[in-house]
Amino acid sequence: MALYEPDRSQYPVKKPDGTLDIDLSSGKYLKLWQGPQHPGITGNMSLELTVCGDEVVDCQTHVGYLHRGFEKLMERRTYIQCFPIVCRICVPEPDFNEYCYAAAVEELSGIKSPRRADWIRTLILEMGRINSYMMYLGGQAGSLGMGVIGQWTTYVRDLMLDRFEELTGARIYHMFILPGGVRDGLPEGFEKRMEETLREIESTMKDVYEAMFCNAVFKKRAIGLGYIDPTLIDPYGVTGPTARAAGVAKDVRKDFPYLVYPELDFEPVTGKDSDAFTRADVRRRDVLLSIDLIRQILDKMPHDGPLMAKIPNVLHWKVPRGETYIRAECSRGEYGYYLVSDGSGYPRRVNVRGPSYTHAVALLERLIINVNIADVAGLMVSLHTYPPEIER
Amino acid sequence: MQFDWMKIPYSLLTLFIVINFGYLLNSFIAKIAARVGRRRGIPIWQTYIDVVKNYGLRTSITHGVMFYLGPVFRLSGGVGLLLFVPSIYGSYLFSNLSFAGDLILALYFVFFGTLGMALGAAESGHPYSAIGITRGLSQVTAAELPFALAIFSVALQYQTLSVTDIVAAQQGGILHWTLFTNPLAVVAAMLSFLGSMMRPPFDVVLAPQEIPIGPPTEYHSSYLALMQTNRAIFPIAKIVIYMNLFFGGATNWPVFFLKVFLIYMWSVFVGVAFPRFRVDQSIRWFLIWAVPIGVLSIVLV
Repeated sequence: MALYEPDRSQYPVKKPDGTLDIDLSSGKYLKLWQGPQHPGITGNMSLELTVCGDEVVDCQTHVGYLHRGFEKLMERRTYIQCFPIVCRICVPEPDFNEYCYAAAVEELSGIKSPRRADWIRTLILEMGRINSYMMYLGGQAGSLGMGVIGQWTTYVRDLMLDRFEELTGARIYHMFILPGGVRDGLPEGFEKRMEETLREIESTMKDVYEAMFCNAVFKKRAIGLGYIDPTLIDPYGVTGPTARAAGVAKDVRKDFPYLVYPELDFEPVTGKDSDAFTRADVRRRDVLLSIDLIRQILDKMPHDGPLMAKIPNVLHWKVPRGETYIRAECSRGEYGYYLVSDGSGYPRRVNVRGPSYTHAVALLERLIINVNIADVAGLMVSLHTYPPEIER
Repeated sequence: MQFDWMKIPYSLLTLFIVINFGYLLNSFIAKIAARVGRRRGIPIWQTYIDVVKNYGLRTSITHGVMFYLGPVFRLSGGVGLLLFVPSIYGSYLFSNLSFAGDLILALYFVFFGTLGMALGAAESGHPYSAIGITRGLSQVTAAELPFALAIFSVALQYQTLSVTDIVAAQQGGILHWTLFTNPLAVVAAMLSFLGSMMRPPFDVVLAPQEIPIGPPTEYHSSYLALMQTNRAIFPIAKIVIYMNLFFGGATNWPVFFLKVFLIYMWSVFVGVAFPRFRVDQSIRWFLIWAVPIGVLSIVLV
C-alpha cells in the first residue's frame, strides 16, 4: 500500500490543443536532461524530462547524436559497397543487418543462398542474439544499481565474441553474411569449443537467475514498472520480447519463418505481466532458448556443400528493378529491410526498420509519464533499445 | 580543566593512520567488488594515485564561495567525528579529544558534514545535485532515526553519554559487549549503518544511473580530492563509534583495524548483493523494519 499518493489532477493542465501547460517559473516543475552523456541512457540519445517532485510529467526524446545517414550513404554506393556499412547500424547485434540486406539483394537478384550457408547464417544470428541479451541483462541490473550482473554477463559475452572471432575473423563487425552466402565454413573443432562456451553461459545464467531474478530488491524495483497494455502492442508497433512479455506471441521466426528455423524445434518464450521484470525474464529465457537452438543447429548442420551461390561480378552488379521487404527476429523484435532497386548498380532506396524506433520514441514517451526519476533508466533499458537503429 | 597539549600531535597521528587505512580499505573494497564480478580489480595503491592526481589539479571555473566550502565542511565533519571519539580504549594519548558527553557531539558531527555538503552542492546549480541533496536529507533522516534510538537505548543501559565510559562498561569479555547485552539496539544500529554508508541498496544519493552522481556532480580537481579524503575518514570515524558503542571498542591498533574492517564488510557484503532501492522504498524500509526494533530496544532497557 502506498503511504502517499500524489495528486496530479490539478497540474499540469492540458491546453485545448492537447499540450501541457508547464510553467517552469512556477517552481512546480524542473527541466531535467537525461543524456546524451548519462549512465542511465542506452546509447546516443537523450530524454528531455519535465519533472514535478520525483515524477516525470512530460518527456521529449531527442536523437541525432549519432546520425551518419546510413540509408542515404547506401544510395551512393554499389551493392557490395553497402555490405560493410549495414553492420554499423547496430553495434551490439550487427548480424541482422547483414542478413536482411543480403537476403533482400538475393531476393531481387533471384539468387538462392546455399543450404549450408543458411545453417551458418542461422547459427550466427542466434550467437548474436545471445550477445545482445548479455548486454541487456547487465544493463537492466545496472540501471537499477546492481553492477555485478553486468560484469558476469560481459565475461560470457566475451567468450561468445571469441567464438565469433574464430568463425568470422572479427569480434564486433563480422561482415560474414554476404549477398549470396557466407564467407567461410566452421573451423576445425568449433563445435566442441562452442559447447564449452554454451555451458559457461548456462552456468552464468543460473547465477544471474539467483542473484537478479530471485532478489527481493530487484523484484521491488522491476515488478510493475513500465506496464504495457496488450492493446498498445499493435498500435505502437511493439514487437519481440517486449510484445511477448505482454502475452502477445509475436516472433518472426515462427510467424514468417526464414533460413532454417522451420527445421528447428522451439516455441517462442512469452510472459503475461508486461512489466520490466517480465520483459527481463522473457529475455533470460530467450537466452536459454538460443542456447538450445545453437545446439540443434550444430547437431543438424550439413558439414559439406557450397557456402556461396554464384553471384555476378560485384563491381558491375546490377540488381533487377523491384522492391522487397525482408524481416527477421532480432533480440529486440522485428528487424526489417525495405530495398528498392531501379535496375542500376546502386540501391534506389533502403529503409531500415529497427525495433528501437518504435520502442524508444513513441512507446517510451508514453510509458514514462508519472514514472519516478529513479525508474527512468530501468524503464528505458527494459525496452531494450539501440539508438543507431533510430537515426539510420 | 587542564588540557594536555601532547594530545594534539597524537590526534594528528590518529588522523594520519586513519586516512591511510581508509585509502587502503577503499581500494581493498573496490577489489572485493571486482572479484565478486569476476574481475581482477584495481591495484591496492590506486586510491593514492587518484587522490594525488586530483590534489594536483586546480579549477578554472567558479560556482561561488559556498560551493568551495562544501567539501571543507564535509571534511571537517569527518575529522571532527574522528577526533572527538576515542580510537583506542585505555590509551590516554589515542583517546583523542574525547570528553564526558562526547556522544552528543559525535552525533552532531555525523550530520554536520552532510548539511555542509548540501549547502555547497546546492550552490553548483546543477539539478542532479539538488535532487541528490533532497534524497540525501530525506534518507539520512529516516536512516539516522534507528541509530538515534539505539544510542538512547545504550545510553539508558549504561547510564552515561560518554563513549569512553560505555566502552569501559563492555570490558571483561566478549559477552559484556552491547552486541550480547542489548542485541536489539545493535540490530537497529547496524540496519541504520547500511543506510549511512552510501552503498547499495541505500546509495540513493549518488545513484550513478539515475542522477550521476548527485551532490558531487560539479565537483572536480582538489575539491573532489578533499571529498575523496573524507570518504576515507568519515566511514571509519562512524565505524569507530559503532565499534565503541556495540562491539567492545579496541584496546590496541591491530584490534582496531580488524573490527573496523569487519564492520565495514557488513555494508560491502550487502552492497554487492543488492540493487538500489528507490528513495521512498528506502525510507519506508527504515521506518518499517529498523525503527520498531530501535523502539523495542528502548522499551526493553
